[in-house]
Amino acid sequence: MTPELQERIEQIASRYPSRRSALLPALHLVQRESNGYVDGAQLAAVAELIGVPVSEAFGVQSYYTMFERRPVGKFHLQVDTNIPAMLAGAEEIVAQLERSLDIRVGETTPDGLFTLSTVECLASCGTCPVIQVNDGYYESMTPQRTDALIASLRRGVLPDLPVQANFGSVCNVLLKRRGTPNATSLAVYRQTGGYRALPIALAKKPAEIVAEVKASNIRGRGGAGFPAGVKWSFLAKNTGKPTYLICNADEGEPGTFKDRQIMEYDPHLLIEGMTIAGYAIGANLGFIYIRGEFAWIAAILEKAIAEARQAGMLGRDILGRGFDYDLVVHVGAGAYVCGEETALIESLEGKRGNPRLKPPFPAVVGLYGCPTIVNNVETLASVPFIVEHGAAAFMHIGTANNFGPKIFGISGHVRRPGTYEYPLGTPLATLLDAAGGVDGRLKAVIVGGLSVPILTAAEAEGLIMDYDSCLKSGTMLGSGGIMVMNESTSIPRVALRAIRFYAHESCGQCTPCRQGSHTVATLLDKVVAGRGTLADLDLVVRLCRTIKGTTLCPTGEAFATPIEAMVTKFRDEFAALVR
Amino acid sequence: MLSLTINDRTIEAEEGETILSAARRAGIEIPTLCAVKGLPPTGACRICVVEVAGFGGLVPSCSYPVAAGMKVQTHSPRALEARKTIVELLLADHPDDCLYCARNNACELQTLAQGLGIRQRRYRGTSLPIRLDVSSPGIIRDQAKCVLCGRCVAVCTQVVVNDVLEFGNRGAKAKIVCDADRPMGLSTCVQCGACVEACPVGALVFKEQMNCMPDGRMQTTRVTCPYCGVGCQIDMHHKDGKWIYSTATAANAEKQPNQGLLCVKGRFGLDFQNHEERLTTPMIRKDGALVAASWDEALDFAATRLGEVKAAHGPDAIGFLSSAKVTNEENFAMMRLARGVIGTNNLDHCARL
Repeated sequence: MTPELQERIEQIASRYPSRRSALLPALHLVQRESNGYVDGAQLAAVAELIGVPVSEAFGVQSYYTMFERRPVGKFHLQVDTNIPAMLAGAEEIVAQLERSLDIRVGETTPDGLFTLSTVECLASCGTCPVIQVNDGYYESMTPQRTDALIASLRRGVLPDLPVQANFGSVCNVLLKRRGTPNATSLAVYRQTGGYRALPIALAKKPAEIVAEVKASNIRGRGGAGFPAGVKWSFLAKNTGKPTYLICNADEGEPGTFKDRQIMEYDPHLLIEGMTIAGYAIGANLGFIYIRGEFAWIAAILEKAIAEARQAGMLGRDILGRGFDYDLVVHVGAGAYVCGEETALIESLEGKRGNPRLKPPFPAVVGLYGCPTIVNNVETLASVPFIVEHGAAAFMHIGTANNFGPKIFGISGHVRRPGTYEYPLGTPLATLLDAAGGVDGRLKAVIVGGLSVPILTAAEAEGLIMDYDSCLKSGTMLGSGGIMVMNESTSIPRVALRAIRFYAHESCGQCTPCRQGSHTVATLLDKVVAGRGTLADLDLVVRLCRTIKGTTLCPTGEAFATPIEAMVTKFRDEFAALVR
Repeated sequence: MLSLTINDRTIEAEEGETILSAARRAGIEIPTLCAVKGLPPTGACRICVVEVAGFGGLVPSCSYPVAAGMKVQTHSPRALEARKTIVELLLADHPDDCLYCARNNACELQTLAQGLGIRQRRYRGTSLPIRLDVSSPGIIRDQAKCVLCGRCVAVCTQVVVNDVLEFGNRGAKAKIVCDADRPMGLSTCVQCGACVEACPVGALVFKEQMNCMPDGRMQTTRVTCPYCGVGCQIDMHHKDGKWIYSTATAANAEKQPNQGLLCVKGRFGLDFQNHEERLTTPMIRKDGALVAASWDEALDFAATRLGEVKAAHGPDAIGFLSSAKVTNEENFAMMRLARGVIGTNNLDHCARL
């Protein structure tokens, strides 16, 4: 390792209260500097520099999918093949790439130019198919655009292929600046009403802010829908330890691509929300844990943070009010489970992203053993509105117990897939209309990200999109990632793709999730390949029912619930495939 | 103190105690696979899940704290079904070679499966193609049999603190690695063997175990380690007069100086027992040749001659050399013999072996 590289790792390490946290960023850095992979000798050097045993460094490196241990091509093409991508024709793109590069998935071209991989959801569901090339995304890929991409890469040029992403807002809270040019700059953010809430907040007592957020009844937008203000009030008091705020920006639930709309197009909204939240809970340091694939969005955030710091909105004595607060952007490395808050904390501490046992909860024992609040991007980005306009104004949007605006990501078989900000409690039909209507006849819909039970067209009739109504209708609002499937969709294939995702993403820590997801995948693979029996289908359902409630973290439910729903609700379609 | 009910029995428990601990104290057995005595629970295997009234999901008894008024069912149909399914899932990928396994009849997975009435294989996984790791001098690793309970990692990192074993990869591809996925013999492992003792199945065994099925002729004798002065207690497992392998004495382990641990010497360094040139009786030199003698004969001979030398030349004509291979108590006895009986300070010791 060169002294210059060591110096850069030292710089990164100095940003964290614990040196160990620099392990993931250090591995990213070394990988980038050494042809896209980190070999054993480099790993040992990084381990020694950070001060962890080689075994632990290897455990971390081999846990995250973005860390390569063997050489990869100059251009690493990673095609998202998860459900929304599959519905948009990603498999055809993979086949096309295999043909034009004359390699199979997992291989590298003999000239060392290209490696082709398939990957899990890249949170680009509205602009699928998507190919990640090294650190960037190429979205809305058609066969023609794919050819153009390959032709350009052969010339050694990462081309600029413009993307038309659909969006709309009737609330103008979270997607207010979507479409405004240069909205990532502090100047435009201010001109359009930004940083009005922060001085209001800093003029009040932290407890008043907590009370206001609690009064707004905002429910966590990550998926669980737990009231954010109540979560804040669980913080352990007088521990003598620092309190941390973490923004969960690990957006990885298939079908979900809402948080990136805020971070990519309105980063200051998140920064302002996090500063207010940090002030409210008594934190002086906040982290944005962003998924590794969003490297360029992390750069947007870094730039915005630097700008805010320069303008006195972050750093020492913010706005002259005596409040010190700063933000660190921490980039993940490819692990769905890190969206679970305790796994996220482990990952932020430089470890394998294994969820922790609860209790204790992060509000009591979180990051570095200190009281910690973990909130989703969308939740934190709603805070400035609540502070500026008051809880009552927030509760004016939405329905009882389900207040506020929500970004719905609509993907699959609709004419204008994209992100749409509507009040909670909006009928599904309205949202589908906003997305241009169903392309063909609706067969089924998953309304809250992949982990919630699928609804048949009949069940989706009249569905109201809020936490309580979805629960009443036998599903969950989750992250608000709506995946629409028309009559051409094979539910058994969707189920197989879904369970393969969970089997790939299971951390492997607890038996029912590790072995269960793997076993269900094996059974469904048999069924879809025409080698299965009805008994196999019964085993799948039985396994799913038993696994629910036995796993260490919610990932067990996350796969058992939707798979059980798919097999039971579309049993005829599965049964038609068995021997 | 607080009280809760487990299986409809009222039980007193300490604040902060786990359900498992409270249950075991009350004589209610809940099976576990990943728990390591004295170490924090990992909650990984989920075998110990129990039903708690008012909870939607099952609760891992190894890690969940008791609460006043809690109502626990350890063997409800739901808990048993979950436990059985978990063991079945572990067996789905497990090789079918119990007959040839060194842990046959001493395997926790086997015992669990038997106890839960598992008589057939409902699930079949796709076993990983895994080769035996025979690279190290004393330990054989068979990852195909690994149930990923993490006990070996826990003892290696938290008890021995050698930090060699760790989890690598994730999901169904997860496996235990040495350093950066090196063969054990090429890793920084010092062959203390604590991981083998921690392993509930046949994934980690001592090489010598492979050649010797546990059967009626197998015997265990507790000895004090003949190496350094710690006084580690060893259970020597031997058969037909031959030493096979050693484990740290398990009975009252926490009261032993080694607390269930051994180093590489105590673990593997007792093979001299089996050497054909090893002395097995006292020998007396007669007419220039060594002749086997009984202990009485030998001791009488030594006492007589020592007495003669002392009478003729005084006590300081005699010196005593003791050994680190014997216990502190035996060295003390030697000192008393030298100073108290013979009356000399000519006493030395070979320090350390």
